[in-house]
Amino acid sequence: MAELVTLTIDGQEVAVPRGTTILEAAKQIGKQVPHYCYHPGMSSPAMCRLCLVEVEGAPNSMPSCVTAVMEDQVVHTESKQALENRRGVLEFYLVNHPLDCPICDMSGECDLQDYVHAEGRDRGRSDEPKRVFGRDDFGGDVLFYGDRCVMCTRCVRFMNEVEQDQRLTVVERGNRSVIDTFFEEGLEGTHWHGNIVDICPVGALVSKEFLHKARAWDLERTSSICPSCSQGCNIELHTRDNLIQRIKPRENLEVNGWWMCDFGRHNHEWVNRGGQLEDPLVRGPDGVIGAAGWRDALGDLLQHVRGVGGARVKAVATPFASNENLGTLAELVDALGGGDMVYRSVRAEDEIVLKGFPTLARRKDLAPNTSGAELIGFTRVGDDQAAGGLENIATYDGIIIIMGDELSDQEANFGKEAALFVYMGDQQSPAAENAHFVLPVSTFAEEEGSFTNVAGRVQCFSPALKASGMARPAWMILGALAAELNKGDAPRSAADAFSSLASRVEAFAGITYGDLGTRGVVVNETYVLSEN
Amino acid sequence: MSDVPFRNPGWAGNTGEFDLTEEQVRGDDFIGQRPLHGGHSSVSGTMPYMLVERNPQAGLFEGEYQERLEKILTRYPKKRAALLPVLGMVQELRGYVSPESMDRVAELLDLSPAYVRGVTTFYTMYNKRPVGRHLVQVCTNISCNLCGADEVLAAFLRYTDIELGATSEDGDFTVIEAECLAACGFPTCVQINSRYFENVTPADVPKIIEHLRAQVAGSD
Repeated sequence: MAELVTLTIDGQEVAVPRGTTILEAAKQIGKQVPHYCYHPGMSSPAMCRLCLVEVEGAPNSMPSCVTAVMEDQVVHTESKQALENRRGVLEFYLVNHPLDCPICDMSGECDLQDYVHAEGRDRGRSDEPKRVFGRDDFGGDVLFYGDRCVMCTRCVRFMNEVEQDQRLTVVERGNRSVIDTFFEEGLEGTHWHGNIVDICPVGALVSKEFLHKARAWDLERTSSICPSCSQGCNIELHTRDNLIQRIKPRENLEVNGWWMCDFGRHNHEWVNRGGQLEDPLVRGPDGVIGAAGWRDALGDLLQHVRGVGGARVKAVATPFASNENLGTLAELVDALGGGDMVYRSVRAEDEIVLKGFPTLARRKDLAPNTSGAELIGFTRVGDDQAAGGLENIATYDGIIIIMGDELSDQEANFGKEAALFVYMGDQQSPAAENAHFVLPVSTFAEEEGSFTNVAGRVQCFSPALKASGMARPAWMILGALAAELNKGDAPRSAADAFSSLASRVEAFAGITYGDLGTRGVVVNETYVLSEN
Repeated sequence: MSDVPFRNPGWAGNTGEFDLTEEQVRGDDFIGQRPLHGGHSSVSGTMPYMLVERNPQAGLFEGEYQERLEKILTRYPKKRAALLPVLGMVQELRGYVSPESMDRVAELLDLSPAYVRGVTTFYTMYNKRPVGRHLVQVCTNISCNLCGADEVLAAFLRYTDIELGATSEDGDFTVIEAECLAACGFPTCVQINSRYFENVTPADVPKIIEHLRAQVAGSD
């Protein structure tokens, strides 16, 4: 720990490590100094002039984003001098701003809107016509509205310092200056440019995918974990009308910083697609499969299981399933007398490392919980397209349990010989035609649970959507069955399922669901993060 | 002393700093080609105001220019620092810095093309479009403006018969406004190619243009 410096900010004493900026020190006591150009993940050019604060003894206002704290300094962030400065600066920002908030995607989460509303003048005094730049398609997912830009250059610095592919620049100078790429070059081919939309403090850079899709104040925001690779980026799911509208990164310095990749950001249509399974389907004695309630379906299933008796289980799970779901499936397999547990997952050829934050990468494993599956005792089969590897299961005559794997590469006669074939998923699968039971389960966005990322960090996510029909989390269904077989208690929450996992799997021992918190817990540091 | 057809009392006398007489600076001696081995900016007074005929298709950094480039690169610890003089060289050869030239320079100096574009557009002295043989930059900043720069600018546009910023059909003239040329003591200041014309009044303009046209005719 570095040496502490004590200073006074707005009458409150605060002690921070030497070298901390005034802006960061003010955050410690809950004072947000307005700013545009400063971003904790990048260098500070101190060019927006909004974070100027009054420092007693200093001849001028100081830019708090680059001024390091000094012993016994007295800082005022809300004095007359600081407020007048901000009011003046904000008036200048609005000289050329189009004030098109009603049609701007950023409206409701815009720093310019917020600051002007809080501290700006109620009207501008400029009589000059506003200069007009219009919009520019930057390629990729980014659309640029030049007139809304406040020239903070966060986007330029992100591409320069963090992604380290300097595609953006400030073109021209003075009031003609505008952000642009090299003529028609655009941002195509970069893998992290979605972040410049996040860090744009105004509506200058907007996402094409999200363009005019929803207003910021209509969105529900739910903490979650990105399911698109094994990095486990902390994300927020922004939902409306029971659909994911967009995905934003959530700060976690130990996993993803402030960033996430474009692949993960836009990979959510699979959650939104229609045609989910809604009811448990049970094959009757006449061979016809029909809808049933959970009580009947589980009762029948239990009877069936007992009837089969003694056969080893072959279970296929998806690494998109949470630790809780996988753990409960393993528990059920044990209760049925043991068997083989496998999973299949898609693997990309390369990692895509974010050069300015090298512990973050789009990992090769394009599933969130392969580490969890391995720890719980599942073995990977099949190729890098998640195909094949199930030859000995397709024709198996014992108990087959499929959880989440859609079997899209399998023939219609998959599991025809099986004594008991249970298919659990959120979508119907052609290969599940012979299933005796088709049970609807929820996706990660509809349930609570945890994933174990590539570095062994267990992180939990919350339900953002309502599952369709009677779909339930897999741990609830499997847990109820296992409890009946073991004469134990069924888990009533994801936390229960996790503690039962912790009691059964060595790697998770001693951890409770509550311990995971918002930052996660590292259970297994076997994987060394590549530096590339 | 050659017969200069217009009044230009802006000459401050021989300061002894350089080995140049008034005649040398004002006269035709220095009209011609800039030494290709480069030169220090302090001798910019020796720069020609008639640039050599520029060729927008000229090959970049070939022959003597390759040698000049290598010399420039030795002056700086990092390649990136050579960007401004290299862009200057591009403009000297081609008359303006085209997107293709920016791309070439970026490749040469290991920079991103976007960065080179940012730098090129930041500096107004790099032409982003082709200009005439004589680039007439009339200062309309405050000192010159108070002394009638607007009339001087209007006179240039009238006598060359072109719009502000446009190039005449014969390719001889481009007239643009400039911000302060740092010659506030001698308003109105007009920079034509690399040379300053000071204390210019609207009445001087026809004579200046005639002189420049003669230069063009002479070079044919």
